[in-house]
Amino acid sequence: MTRRPARHSYYEANARQRLRALLDPGSLREFLGPEARATSPHLESLDLPVAFDDGVVVGSGGLGGHAVLVAAQEGGFLGGAVGEVHGAKITGLLERALAERPRAVLLLLESGGVRLHEANAGLIAIAEILRALLALRAAGVASVGLIGGVYGCFGGMGIVACCCDALIMSEPGRLGLSGPEVIETEMGVEEFDARDRALVWRTLGGKHRYLLGEATRLVADDVAAFRGAALELLEHRRPLALETLAAEHARLEERLERYGDCRDAGEIWARLGIAQPQRLPLLDEDEFLAAAAGARRGGT
Amino acid sequence: MGQWDKLASNRRARLARGRALGRGKCVSAEQATALLEAVIEPGDRVCIEGDNQKQADFLARCLVAVDVSRVHGLHMVQSVLALPEHLEVFERGIARRLDFSFSGPQGARLARLVQEGRIEIGAIHTYLELFGRYFIDLTPRVALVAATSADRDGNLYTGPNTEDTPAIVEATAFKSGVVVAQVNELVERVPRVDIPGDWVDFVVPSPAPHYLEPLFTRDPAHISEIQVLMAMMVIRGIYAEYGVNRLNHGIGFDTAAVELLLPTYAEDLGLKGRIGRHWAMNPHPTIIPAIESGFVESIHCFGSELGMEAYVAARPDVFFTGPDGSLRSNRAFCQAAGHYACDLFIGSTLQIDLEGNSSTATLDRITGFGGAPNMGADARGRRHASPAWLRAGEEARAGAAMPRGRKLVVQMAETFREHMQPAFVARLDAWQLMERIGAALPPVMIYGDDVTHIVTEEGIANLLRCRNDEERAEAIRGVAGFTPVGRARSRAAVENLRDRGVIRRPEDLGIDKRDATRDLLAARSMKDLVRWSGGLYDPPKRFRNW
Repeated sequence: MTRRPARHSYYEANARQRLRALLDPGSLREFLGPEARATSPHLESLDLPVAFDDGVVVGSGGLGGHAVLVAAQEGGFLGGAVGEVHGAKITGLLERALAERPRAVLLLLESGGVRLHEANAGLIAIAEILRALLALRAAGVASVGLIGGVYGCFGGMGIVACCCDALIMSEPGRLGLSGPEVIETEMGVEEFDARDRALVWRTLGGKHRYLLGEATRLVADDVAAFRGAALELLEHRRPLALETLAAEHARLEERLERYGDCRDAGEIWARLGIAQPQRLPLLDEDEFLAAAAGARRGGT
Repeated sequence: MGQWDKLASNRRARLARGRALGRGKCVSAEQATALLEAVIEPGDRVCIEGDNQKQADFLARCLVAVDVSRVHGLHMVQSVLALPEHLEVFERGIARRLDFSFSGPQGARLARLVQEGRIEIGAIHTYLELFGRYFIDLTPRVALVAATSADRDGNLYTGPNTEDTPAIVEATAFKSGVVVAQVNELVERVPRVDIPGDWVDFVVPSPAPHYLEPLFTRDPAHISEIQVLMAMMVIRGIYAEYGVNRLNHGIGFDTAAVELLLPTYAEDLGLKGRIGRHWAMNPHPTIIPAIESGFVESIHCFGSELGMEAYVAARPDVFFTGPDGSLRSNRAFCQAAGHYACDLFIGSTLQIDLEGNSSTATLDRITGFGGAPNMGADARGRRHASPAWLRAGEEARAGAAMPRGRKLVVQMAETFREHMQPAFVARLDAWQLMERIGAALPPVMIYGDDVTHIVTEEGIANLLRCRNDEERAEAIRGVAGFTPVGRARSRAAVENLRDRGVIRRPEDLGIDKRDATRDLLAARSMKDLVRWSGGLYDPPKRFRNW
């Protein structure tokens, strides 16, 4: 009986550990690594600590022998928040992909959104990332987002995640626009109790995002599982065309219609026709996927 | 002829006053305060059941509400001061004197009241000492206890948290005292009889179920890699070395890490069946993986733990359970078992001095002892042998004519605790606390002459093999890292102790520090624990993220 959790938890690993375990052994080559000391001028002017990589690792590597470009945000530095340099590194990577045409670009997303200290520079960085990502999709280079870190993926990076061809999530990973604390502050604790951890994960966690069709794959919290899913999704494309957009709008409209009055993710699961929806959070990935089969809404 | 039944006749008078308030033994919640005014007399010794986990909280509130002109000058004798009400009885002048064991969350307020002269402290005890004195000179006149349910005859069902109730009731009921029980519900027939009805005088259904504190739950997510490293050293350098099979674990992240390394690291070392088979401990959720992977054969419990009820009930081969299926805990018996029947105690501490005395006292808190000193002390009365006990004795008594064993008492501490406070000090804060509260002794949790091993991230100091006080102090300095005490070490002396195996570094034990990662933990989250339990463990809400 082997019930040990994975040897390489994606949730607990840092950005470089994730990349090393995700890519073919020894294949990671970092661009603009810490030795280049590309640090944030904004943080420095505020007398705040800086990171030599500004909280993101970009580089190239192999995935099952295929050439890929990768970016991995480091939650350990300001929760992966996007500043000017951080954003420019990701944009630069995406533009390089447009020129080099690798088999895919993998974005290991972990971010609370824009770095408030850098305000407009961070917002502009998000816009530049989005533009570069859409250009890449238009050119037919696969883009795969991976979410499974401690800080989840929120704010502008939440939008970036939803613009990828495919999205891989684990249950502890969270995806949203406004984070739980922001919703509570703006709308009140009656609307969303950010300290109710169960509620937070039910609503924003990987399982719910998979059931709603936002995550393409749900995997166990194991870097090897993320790798396996990424290999499968190298051919996965969402063509950047009017039909795709229309279908997406129809999907969102239908969601609002069907579940707009639900107060809790659990109610949505029941309406999806899942038996004993309260069990879902406890199920292992395999059991969960079996329970979700047939109920999941179409999407990415 | 003198009168030899004054206590019994006084008891009859109390019962007569109390009986007027209810039907038989049952008294309603509304009448509870009046009941206490009727059966308690000024100057009485009173025990409010305050255990590690279970609290007679409703009766405590009622006692605070009594008419002070009728009830005052009480002498409180109770294990734990956990609730604000336990101190309000002193603030309101209902009680004056206090004998207790542990004060945890009320420690700071207690220190203030003592300094203001509003509480006279008789003594701070260990659990077994206090239970002992219940039968010698601190027998309660009135005991206010808590149970899950009762029938109309007063038979009590305590559920998994029996804890201190049998010791308190035994002492009170058989010395002509009065026993009042608050119960969550009155039933036709209790699921099992934990306390026989003729030992119980009054039963009060409480408006809400009694409070239970989840004291022994540690979320694996918060275990650090330093704690993993220390746990590896404990398993390899102590458990495997001595073949420790009967043991007690204190609570804390340090020992939780050891529990979570049994199914991984210890199993990989081939230690299953060779260490950690029989335990005296609360049902820590972090022991679930070790149970499920077949390390643990039996566990006897002081108390229960919130959320563990269904899991424990489903593992009756491991835990002590009743015919109703639920756990039967018993603090007094488990303390005795931990003292006499275990070969090892291991726990965390806050401060250690150069003699190896360790203390959890800080300047402005009186926290007391609980049960750790009973576990963390050599059992001088022990007469049966075991390999681990004999081996420790041989190390301690090299050259002595009379063979005798020794209990292994292990203290774990990172060299610096939070806020960069050194764990190793020249003088314990306990001395200052003693002066401040006018105590007879500094409150030392484990005396240096009982400690056999100190484990820090720097290594293990085996104090059994030190031949004199200087060596002992140098061995402690040798694992005290960059604390002022550690930096005052003599490099030559420490290297010499290392050559003799008194100090052992991770590399001396065959441990590569780079292997000490959280990936070694059998569970890294609360949900992992739930999965290991097959969904039977039901963690309290504040520990969930699902």
